Amino acid sequence: MQISVYGDTLCAQVTATALAQTGHDVYWYVTDMGAWNALEQGAAIYKEPGLRFLLEEQRRSGRLRYRLYSESKRLNDSRVVFLAVQPGKVSLLESIVAHHAAMPAFELAVTQTVCAVGTSERLRDGLVDSGSRAELAVMPDMTQAGRAYDAFTRPDCILIGHENEEARVLLCEIMRPYVRTRDTFRHMSLREAEFARLASSGILATRISFMNEMAQLAERVDVDISVIREALAADSRIGSAYLYPGCGFGGPGLSGDVMSLVDTLQGYDAHAGLLEQVLAINERQKEVLFRKFWQYYGGNVVGKRVVIWGAAFKPGTHRVENSPALKVIEALWAQGVQVAVHDPLALPELSRWADGRGDLELYKDQYMAAADADALMLFTEWKQYWSPEWARLRGELREPLILDGRNIYDPVFVRSQGFQYKGVGRI
Amino acid sequence: MVPEQDVLTVSSIWARLEQYAQQHRHEHLADMFEADKERFQHFSQSDCGLLVDYSKQRLNTDILSLLVQLADERHLGHWIECLFSGQRVNCTEQRSAMHWRLREPSTTGASPEVHDQLDAMGAMVDRILTGQWRGSQGDVITDVVNVGVGGSELGPLMAAAALHSSMPATGKRPRLHFASSMDGSQISQILHDLDPRTTLVLVSSKSFTTIDTLHNANTARAWLARAFGGESEAMMRCHFIGISSNAARMTDWGIQPQNQLMFWEWTGGRYSLWSAIGMPIALTVGMDGFRDMLAGAHAMDEHFRSRRWAENIPVLLGLVDVWNINFLNITARAVLPYDGRLKHLPAYLEQLEMESNGKSVSRAGKPLEYNTCPVIWGEVGPNAQHAFFQLLHQGTLPVACEFLMTARRYTEQMHSASAKELEGQHRLSNANCLAQSRLLALGERALDPKVALPPYKRYRGNQPSTTLVLDELSPRTLGALLAMYEHKVFVQAVIWGINPFDQWGVEMGKLIATDMLDVLADPDSASGLDASSMALARHIVGSSL
Repeated sequence: MQISVYGDTLCAQVTATALAQTGHDVYWYVTDMGAWNALEQGAAIYKEPGLRFLLEEQRRSGRLRYRLYSESKRLNDSRVVFLAVQPGKVSLLESIVAHHAAMPAFELAVTQTVCAVGTSERLRDGLVDSGSRAELAVMPDMTQAGRAYDAFTRPDCILIGHENEEARVLLCEIMRPYVRTRDTFRHMSLREAEFARLASSGILATRISFMNEMAQLAERVDVDISVIREALAADSRIGSAYLYPGCGFGGPGLSGDVMSLVDTLQGYDAHAGLLEQVLAINERQKEVLFRKFWQYYGGNVVGKRVVIWGAAFKPGTHRVENSPALKVIEALWAQGVQVAVHDPLALPELSRWADGRGDLELYKDQYMAAADADALMLFTEWKQYWSPEWARLRGELREPLILDGRNIYDPVFVRSQGFQYKGVGRI
Repeated sequence: MVPEQDVLTVSSIWARLEQYAQQHRHEHLADMFEADKERFQHFSQSDCGLLVDYSKQRLNTDILSLLVQLADERHLGHWIECLFSGQRVNCTEQRSAMHWRLREPSTTGASPEVHDQLDAMGAMVDRILTGQWRGSQGDVITDVVNVGVGGSELGPLMAAAALHSSMPATGKRPRLHFASSMDGSQISQILHDLDPRTTLVLVSSKSFTTIDTLHNANTARAWLARAFGGESEAMMRCHFIGISSNAARMTDWGIQPQNQLMFWEWTGGRYSLWSAIGMPIALTVGMDGFRDMLAGAHAMDEHFRSRRWAENIPVLLGLVDVWNINFLNITARAVLPYDGRLKHLPAYLEQLEMESNGKSVSRAGKPLEYNTCPVIWGEVGPNAQHAFFQLLHQGTLPVACEFLMTARRYTEQMHSASAKELEGQHRLSNANCLAQSRLLALGERALDPKVALPPYKRYRGNQPSTTLVLDELSPRTLGALLAMYEHKVFVQAVIWGINPFDQWGVEMGKLIATDMLDVLADPDSASGLDASSMALARHIVGSSL
């Protein structure tokens, strides 16, 4: 089947790759010149485990073609169109849909882009008004950075919003290869699919902020949050997912969705009391390592040097949007602290974000980055950080202070190696 | 040299003005407007974003030209030179009064120490606005408490409220709180509501000995120390900024050297909002906005120094006030802003004018035989209409009124959603302003003559007023407006031959309060106290047992 996929998102990259892999004839339209150039040069836009190889393989097979989207250019007349542009880009969605509406082969538009509730209905109304016979369905972007391909091809659940049987049949057919072991479709209306997507992010974010608040309390009452977390996880009513306290959540997904959900609530004049607090707690939590560093030195931090391990918003991705490390780097700059960073993937993105605003030394070697530092801050739990060579690290640091934003170390052991250790919510 | 002042009442011009006042005392403003259709053109001026209409004042061109001659006779030009050349115009304290220096542009290369302090304040302001001023636990500062009284509160409080719709270019405003009252009623409420971790305290006192301020600051300090389990160097460094002319006293109190902002002996407290005392203003509008305010004030300084008297706004306003007080015997002035953002302007002007010119001895130490500063009070105009306008319209006392309004409002981005309704409210308020000044001036001749009124419904009118219209309320126009008032006060002081820059009348009360503390500690030990004070002291002590 001829399919067009639109967008520069990770969701677009995975969708285009996976659909081509199962035999479809895919045209992938990207809207950003930089992304286009990367693809042309044989790189992937998003570095995901295994994905770059698969992408290249599909391109060579001839089933995946890259196109640079421009409003004025003629688009390929595909039977099905997947829309996975950046969240909230409603006018872009409208213009793509309008373009296809005028073409004969067009049968189905699938919006994956996370937008405010009601957006898909407006797109569908536009299609009806234009006289097109095409239908619209919603299959919300559930991509998880770091395991995007696996999540797409072996989904726990696929939310499908539609208001028409033909749309359902066609979309389920396209997704059939990924639900072979069990039927994981959940059918609902367009609006419900949009809402369900945002609400699930809201719950996950709420759990994290709740745990971060508990962690803060744990420090005050002298208990270890890890013990508390395990106790909670053992309760089947609660479960173990998203119970890890730390230095806050980031990324384009979770934080973006919660903000979008808050916007939706406000747009309907429904008070977003809980979610606003969830976001506020998270923003404050992003600076938890900075506060620990500040308190350790009594606020006398001018001229100090900090090494940061991990800038990506989570392991397995090169992306840094809304990452806690960014907020802390800005705070450190403002206080006249030198910042050295190691990250296995995210350094180029970090450097683009920094854009020369402050001193930022980037290191390919995590130990060299630590040389003469007055504190080590760990923001992203990359595997290579879990068991460092303690003696070497001890030798590099000027002050053996470890601020563990993901609670990956054993406090007792780390202290036995001659370090000061501070986690989040730990004694 | 500061010129000697002679006795004002022997002046021939003064005598002729008195004559005019006698002749014209019953002349009605309604008749004056009938007689001269160009009255507005003759009696208005505009510059620096301000339009000043004094055509509803009870004067004519002859009177105005005599007043202008009076200014010359009193050597106003020479006095202005003395002020702006840093002469010791504050004769009782042998100090110059150089608040104008605080707003000279840095491009002139003048006053490098002023610009050093502005830059130091600017760095702190930027740090606070960007969320990078940190409390001792590393938290972002979200609340700033200004602890100060008199000039260390009234100016910053007034201007911060006035400029609330001018957002800083970047960053996020902290919430501002003001604590001044000696009895702790403000500070107790503020501290109850705030989180010590996110609170920064500005201690503002020119001398750093003001007991009201130091007691409030001590209370805040104890509150922080309790929250952090004891006082520390980090607590003082992260939670206190001091603003004073006395570095040693700031240091003694515990303000860290890098957190000390200085101003100078030559800045009077009520003239100090242009210095670091204005930090709450800079936190409201950002440092660029603060510099705009200084630029507006500097433009008014230039206007005041360069315009001839008949076109000089501060001079004209000063002369009009002299005419009202000394010749028409109008001893009260109501300040009536028809823009709610100027709600604290009356209190600010009460201090600026009454503390400056509430004097009864000449520079040479002789008792004066004429009135000086009137009683000044005021309120947001539309609200005052529901309070004391009855007295203005139908009371027995003559009162000069000062109406303030803004031409443009609610054009800012932040108001986009409800702009239409709010613009309507703004228009309504301006309509009320114009209606009130018209009715006060013309009386029932502003009404339909065919309708006969019973005595209790009559409006005699002839209450004089000045109307000040700001193009918009921005840092720049506010700066010009305030500098205008400062210079007007100086003009009046020159005419009256008094020193507007001291305030000896408020010193003695502070001293004898110290003795009274002993009386309250033990009323029986007191001797030589009057019967009233003694009985009151005993009553209070008895009630608190």
